[in-house]
Amino acid sequence: MRSTRVRPYAITRGRTRPRHLLLVETLVSVPNYDPQASAQLMPEAQALYERARQRTSVAELSAALDIPLGVIRVLLSDLASQDMVYIHPTGHEYQYDLQLLERILDGLKGV
Amino acid sequence: MRKVLIVGAGQAGLQLALGLVGHDYDVTVMSARTPEEIRGGRVMSTQCMFGPALQHERDLGLNLWEAQAPRVEGIGLSVAAPDGGRALDWLGRLDAYAQSVDQRVKMAGWLELLEDRGAKVVYHGVTTSDLDPLTGLYDLVVIAAGKGELVQLFDRDPGRSPYRTPQRVLSVVYVHGMEPRPEHPDLRAVRFNAVPGVGELFVIPAHTLSGDCDILFFEGLPGGPLDCWDDRPDPAEHLDRTLSLMRRYVPWEHDRCRAVELTDDRATLVGSYAPVVRRPVGVLPAGGRVLGMADVVVANDPLTGQGSNNAAKCAASYLDSVLARGDEPFDEEWMHGAFEAYWEYARHVTFWTNAMLQPPPEHVMRIFGTAARVPAVADRFANAFGDPTDLEKWFFDPALTDRYLASVTPA
Ligand SMILES: Cc1cc2nc3c(=O)[nH]c(=O)nc-3n(C[C@H](O)[C@H](O)[C@H](O)COP(=O)(O)OP(=O)(O)OC[C@H]3O[C@@H](n4cnc5c(N)ncnc54)[C@H](O)[C@@H]3O)c2cc1C
Repeated sequence: MRSTRVRPYAITRGRTRPRHLLLVETLVSVPNYDPQASAQLMPEAQALYERARQRTSVAELSAALDIPLGVIRVLLSDLASQDMVYIHPTGHEYQYDLQLLERILDGLKGV
Repeated sequence: MRKVLIVGAGQAGLQLALGLVGHDYDVTVMSARTPEEIRGGRVMSTQCMFGPALQHERDLGLNLWEAQAPRVEGIGLSVAAPDGGRALDWLGRLDAYAQSVDQRVKMAGWLELLEDRGAKVVYHGVTTSDLDPLTGLYDLVVIAAGKGELVQLFDRDPGRSPYRTPQRVLSVVYVHGMEPRPEHPDLRAVRFNAVPGVGELFVIPAHTLSGDCDILFFEGLPGGPLDCWDDRPDPAEHLDRTLSLMRRYVPWEHDRCRAVELTDDRATLVGSYAPVVRRPVGVLPAGGRVLGMADVVVANDPLTGQGSNNAAKCAASYLDSVLARGDEPFDEEWMHGAFEAYWEYARHVTFWTNAMLQPPPEHVMRIFGTAARVPAVADRFANAFGDPTDLEKWFFDPALTDRYLASVTPA
């Protein structure tokens, strides 16, 4: 009955590229500032790109630009996928977010 | 490249995202949890999916666990008699096998696959304040966040929602070591055990993090003896309580449980929700429009095991609607059209599920009684789990039922 226990991780052959885990404290920066690329960006993305010329955290960006956290994360992920911003490794990317677990457990009342 | 944002990384959101990536759309998915958090989290469903829904996954190359997951080849119905025996007990065979892959395994794997296939995945629990500015950055925003808080963006559709309160209290536990049904030792089936006035127990063969398992899924009538989970028992106590309820109400299933153990320490779930259909277009404070998908807009009771199947069919239907739109705007009118195209299917499931929540009418009891003697009737009922649109031809209307039963039973 239990002969087919397998690790599910094997299935997707491991990760091919690092995941952008943008925690609030994650630091980001612009590796090679390019004014022309900046001029092409949408206003919010441009503001973010300019601001991140100085190394800064996700939370600071959200507060300074008054853009909600979710939008900051989306914009950063877009810029990172074009190598326009660099996301500094945080060291605890693969740990559980305990607060999140708690929220999920609380949410179970309403499945 | 048209830009699409999908909020929610479940069956619906991920399947749509993977479909769109395959057609070169610029896709971003926002997920409240990382793959690691999903694998390390609690079970979420029993997620049994039937042939037509599994085919949508195969079409997109998403059937990564097809070889490991047990093949479910039938649907069994047993009805408890007052003496502890069974008033009815039969099995219908499925034309195409069904499978249940633990959503912790599947959604974590699909998120990784999605990143590998070139979509952007952003880990963030989305709020409406995020959505307002985001709608301006995308051609289309789809909300596939299940029954979470974002449903508040979508109004309940009273004409399509007969219930206001939960019709069942749900309890799920995943176990290793369950024995086969003695009458079909070599055939895995979903077992639908009805206990009149009390509720139902489903037994569903599945594939979980640690391999092959069975899921014990109670649907209890509110206020009845299966409505007993308010104290949120820990997993060991949850299993013990499940087993003692089984001994009492469905002893023939309890007999298979002599050696069961929890699959893991997050293998239990309790909850309840009211079935609801919502209007498909959400309007944000600043005027942006978002399209609701799957459980966000059509959340039926899991009694008929259709929610993941619906999610797969909604994803396939929305993919077609997006592709057919070409370069035209995804405006409100298009959103309504996309939903109605899906509803043309989902209305069958909703009607059936809402009907099954009530005690069966006389003609349905005649169907179930005849199925015990005439395998063709049992098989037709079983195959309706894959294609519920068949039911309106024979199941709901007593006259159509009579005609059908007369055609399969010698006079
Ligand atoms: C006990 C039980 C048993 C069931 N059994 C079956 C069965 O046997 N067969 C069947 O077909 N169906 C079954 N279902 C129904 C099925 O599980 C659901 O209908 C299906 O999972 C819906 O898919 P979805 O993609 O719409 O939503 P979900 O699977 O709920 O996915 C939504 C995702 O969005 C995420 N999310 C939520 N809010 C946010 C947010 N604000 N920001 C970002 N992400 C967010 C969630 O974390 C989740 O990952 C069952 C359900 C239950 C509760």
